[in-house]
Amino acid sequence: MEEKPIQNICKESIFEQIYNEHSKDLRNFLYYKYGDHCNPNDKAQDAFVKLWNNCSKISFAKAKSFLFTVANNMMLNEIKHQKVVLKHRQIQTKQYTYETPEFILEKDQFLERYQEVLGNLKEEQRVAFLLNKVEGKKHEEIAEMLGITRKVVEYRIYSAFNKLKSELEGFKIK
Amino acid sequence: MDQDYLIKKWLNNDLSEAEMEAFKLLDDHELYLDIIDAAQAFKASNDEVMPDFNTFKQRYQKLNKPVKKLHWMNPLLKIAAILVIVLGVYFTFFNSAKITVETLANQKTSVELPDASSVMLNALSSIKYQKRNWDNNRTLQLNGEAYFKVAKGSTFDVLTEEGLVSVVGTEFNVKQRDNYFEVICFEGSVEVSLKVDTRDFETILIKGESVLFLNSNLTERTISTLEPDWISNRSIFSGIPLYEVFDELMRQFAIDISFNDVNLERLFTGGFSHDSLENALTAIVQPMNLTYELTPSKQVIIHGKKN
Repeated sequence: MEEKPIQNICKESIFEQIYNEHSKDLRNFLYYKYGDHCNPNDKAQDAFVKLWNNCSKISFAKAKSFLFTVANNMMLNEIKHQKVVLKHRQIQTKQYTYETPEFILEKDQFLERYQEVLGNLKEEQRVAFLLNKVEGKKHEEIAEMLGITRKVVEYRIYSAFNKLKSELEGFKIK
Repeated sequence: MDQDYLIKKWLNNDLSEAEMEAFKLLDDHELYLDIIDAAQAFKASNDEVMPDFNTFKQRYQKLNKPVKKLHWMNPLLKIAAILVIVLGVYFTFFNSAKITVETLANQKTSVELPDASSVMLNALSSIKYQKRNWDNNRTLQLNGEAYFKVAKGSTFDVLTEEGLVSVVGTEFNVKQRDNYFEVICFEGSVEVSLKVDTRDFETILIKGESVLFLNSNLTERTISTLEPDWISNRSIFSGIPLYEVFDELMRQFAIDISFNDVNLERLFTGGFSHDSLENALTAIVQPMNLTYELTPSKQVIIHGKKN
């Protein structure tokens, strides 16, 4: 497939545009996939640095997939099978209009368990699920980020959900 | 409808109204909602946001400046390295050759140095110098006698076997023969340094001053002429031993002199011109009460007067 580099991303203004558009997504992707341990922030920036160094060889269209691939590889190089821990915070949920202590305790336990299950999920499933349900990314977007097809994205989200469902069944909060 | 089917479609946000109703009727439908809701709690922290572009740029510049420069310089560095090697070989074998100028007996010559300094060589003398980088390193080796007119510039050094003469823009004469080392300053100032036996000797001569080391004996004199006598084809001596006088005679006329009963340590004051050998011989022998003999084979014999 012939690709004429439409725009030279070595121009600072263009590179800035790429940075502003993808930096947050890239960082979140790394966070969701690998947790907080290996500084997703730094890795994301390193990926941008690498993109800059290779700016003459990468077209504007390919920049995003380059970033995600590079960042992912950088992460892999550093982690060897660490337990993934995604922190959870208290959030407001509109559905509950009152909170008894018992209720709060249950919710806490629920989230604890949730955290555990999330951490144990297959990386790819966790990433797809969180990117879709938390970040609100469309299936096509996720497919592009991860270099997979839409169908695969849907399948991964479904698998993640099923796992969560089976592990959290005992926690029905009524 | 199949539960899985509904869940899948729900996850894809792809339920029709009818399907949505069916989904809400599922047993664990509230759990499903909870699961999706609770996921929000695990949203990537918004505190640790990615830095803005300018901050990123700073970090990048710190990391990358040295690396990026090397990157395009690599081929240049390789070429430069090869050039250095080639030039090094060339200069070692071809260009550091020194220039030597020699005069034979009965010969005087004039040399112009790269910085327009001039050197006039008396008979049987030689100079040796390196042409390359002359302006920065004006060092010259002298054997014999030469009259220097040094252009202003970096220090000009004349190295002789017996001593070192350093000047900065001046005119001076250096004579170095056997046991005879003399420097006459005709213009500017001249620094002379040498080792006499084991002692270090240093002096500065100004215009009209000269210093002579004859057999380790130091004589300081004043000169009133503007340039060495030999430049005008004359040799003038003042209280100089005969052996040196005859030596100069030999050099100027390319002849061999043998002596018969002559005390060569006697001091001579006078001179001879370089035009005619016979006139020169007469000029020396007469004041000293000696006679000379010219053999057919062009040899000269000096006889002490037998009186």
